[in-house]
Amino acid sequence: MTKGKLLLLFIGAGLLTYPLLPLSSDYVLHVMTLAMVYMILAMGLNIVPGFCGLLDLGYVGFYGIGAYTAGLLTIHYGLPFWVIVPLAALNGALWGVLLGAPTLRLTGDYFAIVTFGFSELVVLFLTNEIWLTRGPLGLPGIQPITLNLSWLNKAWYFEFYEKTPNFYIAALMVALVYFIMCRMEDSRLGRAWYAIREDPLAAASCGVNILNYKVIAFAISAGIGAVGGCFYARWSMFLSPDMFKFWESFLVLCMVVLGGLGNIKGALLGAVILVCLGEILRESLTAIGLPAETRFIAYGLIMVLIMRFKPSGFFPAVASSGRSNPLLIDLQKRLAAGAAAKEKSRDSAA
Amino acid sequence: MLEQQLINGLTLGLIYALIAVGYTMVYGVIQLINFAHGEIYMLGAFFCVTFITAVGLPFYVAICMAMICCSLCGILLDIIAYRPLRKAPRLAALITAIGMSIFLQNLALIIWGSRSKPFPQMAVPGYLKEKALVMGDISLTWLQLFIFAVAISMMFGLFLIINKTRIGTAMRALSQNKTAAALMGINVNFVISFTFALGSAMGAVAGILVSVYYNTLYPTMGYTAGVKAFAAAVLGGIGSVPGAMVGGIVLGVAEALGAGYVSSLYRDGVAYAVMIAVIIFRPSGILGRSVIDKA
Repeated sequence: MTKGKLLLLFIGAGLLTYPLLPLSSDYVLHVMTLAMVYMILAMGLNIVPGFCGLLDLGYVGFYGIGAYTAGLLTIHYGLPFWVIVPLAALNGALWGVLLGAPTLRLTGDYFAIVTFGFSELVVLFLTNEIWLTRGPLGLPGIQPITLNLSWLNKAWYFEFYEKTPNFYIAALMVALVYFIMCRMEDSRLGRAWYAIREDPLAAASCGVNILNYKVIAFAISAGIGAVGGCFYARWSMFLSPDMFKFWESFLVLCMVVLGGLGNIKGALLGAVILVCLGEILRESLTAIGLPAETRFIAYGLIMVLIMRFKPSGFFPAVASSGRSNPLLIDLQKRLAAGAAAKEKSRDSAA
Repeated sequence: MLEQQLINGLTLGLIYALIAVGYTMVYGVIQLINFAHGEIYMLGAFFCVTFITAVGLPFYVAICMAMICCSLCGILLDIIAYRPLRKAPRLAALITAIGMSIFLQNLALIIWGSRSKPFPQMAVPGYLKEKALVMGDISLTWLQLFIFAVAISMMFGLFLIINKTRIGTAMRALSQNKTAAALMGINVNFVISFTFALGSAMGAVAGILVSVYYNTLYPTMGYTAGVKAFAAAVLGGIGSVPGAMVGGIVLGVAEALGAGYVSSLYRDGVAYAVMIAVIIFRPSGILGRSVIDKA
């Protein structure tokens, strides 16, 4: 294990034990959990612009669909969180397919604008269909996440109102999504997506069904967005249509861009950086008398500058599986040794 | 009632058409959705009000000054943000456009504050507020007639520039084949900057007209107007200037009728729904070229 990996492990372990420390503050825990929600969202969004090279401006629509699915199912039917997560993911993916199938055959620009229109329609629907969503009043009183193990032991029924258990559930979900993303990236699916991004014509002539793979990418991305929304609904226990405006899509997109398009670890780091930056800016901007929304000027600037000077982000994606392949590492070593030996013999000959 | 809705829709539609022309011209020349165009429209209104209140210019002079300032903003936008990315992937330019849009919007928020302002009524010539025509239930103000006249004459002027001048020929050449145009001695970057300037000037006029018509302006006004105008451009067939005009008018009327007869809550929704439906069922629009990805 290299030094860098060891350091990362220590940081990770330190962060995971943070809520157990006596000095942990609720605010920091809240921000950390929020950062993890955005990590899930950023990883999900990353599939579409990162892996497939299509701009998705309506990601928050799926986040909102997931959140409201979870909120309504909880309030009206009292379903447990663990049942709602797959349902919300399916609902998100369904809308992803419905929206993606007709539009993904067009050029990327059209796709971007359709996704934008879709997310605006979702917000309008949530605001105006008062019979279902209570409209601008919002949806209060969503039950927190529960864990019902009373079939094992009568006392094992948990309701997670506290910050700490929510923190760990979020961490679990991030780990799960991360694992899924990494497996997908290295699979046939991931290779097809990369091929489409790099050269659609070449991909098509190699037998990749472009439309199918794009729709799959969009549906999976939508499903993950819905999962993020689902956790958010049960964690914050309140939903309102204002939470799902275009700004959120923009913020998540900015995270993905900052970390480097197509880079899963980058998306995680982008989420952390921008959530922290957002908190700092919110405090400092209101301190100097500007409205907190103006913090988006920084996000806009970040996107423009990154695209101009570092289009692949700060953590450009490299073919990671190739680098960790033991055969390749061995070959590299032998080649280096051979070159060194040749150099030596030439020196001695001279 | 119906006639009144049609007139209101037509007024709105002509304004959308003025903005949509900016989108469609830029798209025709560099195949980029200039998301920041809505912000230029917003800046136009703010520049005009600033010239009236801070400098004290008369109404019509302030409009001209705002047009010039917005043209400069459009050129700057192109030079700073888009020109370095001409050879980059499409996605990079699109993301930059979104970033610039958010940046400009928040810059305006910082400079002029987030509250919506009324348009300085003192500066607007009095006769514009009077009714020009009253027939039964229908009424038409001079302001609406002014909007019709300005929009139609600007469209006509644009038509002349594109079809009858050297630079218009260069723009059309560029939209067909950039490399061939460059080989024929066309200064590509100059023509692109000119396109931005032209589109921005028309956007600025649209912003001013809207803020006078509704008597309000606010930094986020470019956001919905921009998307609706884009919808109009798509409806007419993106890249086609007459298409943008037709699309704007159709969308404005559809919106007014939708708000009047279906539900005023979904006023903005009409535009989005029309846009999505057009993109799904007839992506080339009313007057456009095919846009199916060949790959």
